[in-house]
Amino acid sequence: MKLFLLWGVAVLGFTGLAEYNGWSLARVNQVENVPKTVRDNPGAYRSTYGYYHRYIGGK
Amino acid sequence: MSSAAIGPPLVQAKSLHCPSCGGPVTLRGFGHTLSVVCPQCHAVLDVSNPLVQILQRAQQEQVQPKIPLGTRGKIDNVVWEVIGFQVRQIEVDGVPYSWDEYLLFNPYHGFRYLSEYQGHWNVIRTLPLVPEQVPSIRPRLRVKGQIFRHFQHCEATTVFVLGEFPWRAHKGEKATVDDFIAPPQMISSERMDGEVVWSLGEYWSGDQIWKAFQLQGRAPAAVGVFENQPSPHHGRAGSMWKTFLWMLVALAAMMFYFTVSAKRQEVYTQHYSFSTGTGGEPSFVTPVFELTGRPSNVQLAIKTDLDNNWAYFNVALINQDTGRAWDFGREVSYYHGVEDGESWTEGSSSDSVDIPSVPSGHYYLRIEPEMDTKQPSSMGYDVTLRRDVPTYWFFLIAFVLLLIPPIVSTARIGAFETARWRESDYGSGGK
Repeated sequence: MKLFLLWGVAVLGFTGLAEYNGWSLARVNQVENVPKTVRDNPGAYRSTYGYYHRYIGGK
Repeated sequence: MSSAAIGPPLVQAKSLHCPSCGGPVTLRGFGHTLSVVCPQCHAVLDVSNPLVQILQRAQQEQVQPKIPLGTRGKIDNVVWEVIGFQVRQIEVDGVPYSWDEYLLFNPYHGFRYLSEYQGHWNVIRTLPLVPEQVPSIRPRLRVKGQIFRHFQHCEATTVFVLGEFPWRAHKGEKATVDDFIAPPQMISSERMDGEVVWSLGEYWSGDQIWKAFQLQGRAPAAVGVFENQPSPHHGRAGSMWKTFLWMLVALAAMMFYFTVSAKRQEVYTQHYSFSTGTGGEPSFVTPVFELTGRPSNVQLAIKTDLDNNWAYFNVALINQDTGRAWDFGREVSYYHGVEDGESWTEGSSSDSVDIPSVPSGHYYLRIEPEMDTKQPSSMGYDVTLRRDVPTYWFFLIAFVLLLIPPIVSTARIGAFETARWRESDYGSGGK
């Protein structure tokens, strides 16, 4: 029972922390040091997902 | 008045000689003893009258009781002495199962019994009343408001006796036994020679017995689940579910708080259009906008007018000051039609993504849309960025995580009861 209480407090604490900090389950990569020239030349930026192969199509 | 006159009379053990081997035999049960086993030759003697007779010649088997005869122990604040021991056996599907029974005696309180099967013990006393039968599909009894459920019916045979008994106990003695349980209690009826004896047993652990009789060493470990063994999980699941409900209330309160307190601040919104085959660089950047406040999420929503088509968006949220980017790709596709007279849809023309823990600062978006280049395609779409939007995934995960322990506890109760009843007449197991 004590373990369950501890477990519950940990889960609730983690949930509160996640919500407060705006954590997300989305697949988002962080990239550092993007050059300022991207604003002038957007095509120079290479997205992590730029060559991601995907299924696209109807039924 | 002397103390001897007001106290219980001093009682002495009685001795006699075995008519089989001539060895000394001590009687501890006084006038109650009707049969006794000679400790030397193990012949069973009838001592109901002064002319001692041999009921049964020496038994071949020699069984050593776990609690030696003559041992005294305290149960319910009364000192009891072990004066008899027998091994009884039932047979199920040709497989014999045996258990031990000890006869306890106190000159002022009569008899008690101890039974032991694979490390599971019961302290048993005879019932002075006949339990009330309760109408039910399966036989049930009621004693002092407590319902006892029928567990098993069996024919028990005594296979070994030692010590003395208040009846003519002997090897081969048979009894029809029915057990009814309400853990940790058990009621047994024993039918023997047309007479029915009702008894009430209470489950004791081996450690409790060892402590009560101050026996050396440790009690043998209990094997499996006994019919009236109290579930170690009993009551635990109930309190866990209660605690779970309180945690659920706390979770709901937290969800309410974050939903109400979320700013949902729209920091950028713009309509764009895109078409293939026009050439040129498809990627572009938005004007710089400011994100304020503590680090929190940023929700990017893309709403398109796609119709039986797809689009892919390479997006980066870039901090102009630090050069840090949150980079992701989103696929948006929406198809619909009619097939075999039935309409169908697939996908959605809009999408959103929550970018986690974005600190305050000056940002811009780099967006690179893609569409099918094999055919001319075009679309219009809205991009909207909101700061501090409530999300519910973590609440859902927390709900599941909180749910696991009480479910496991409830499942354990079920497993324990299944193991218990597997050994009954109503289970699918062996005994």
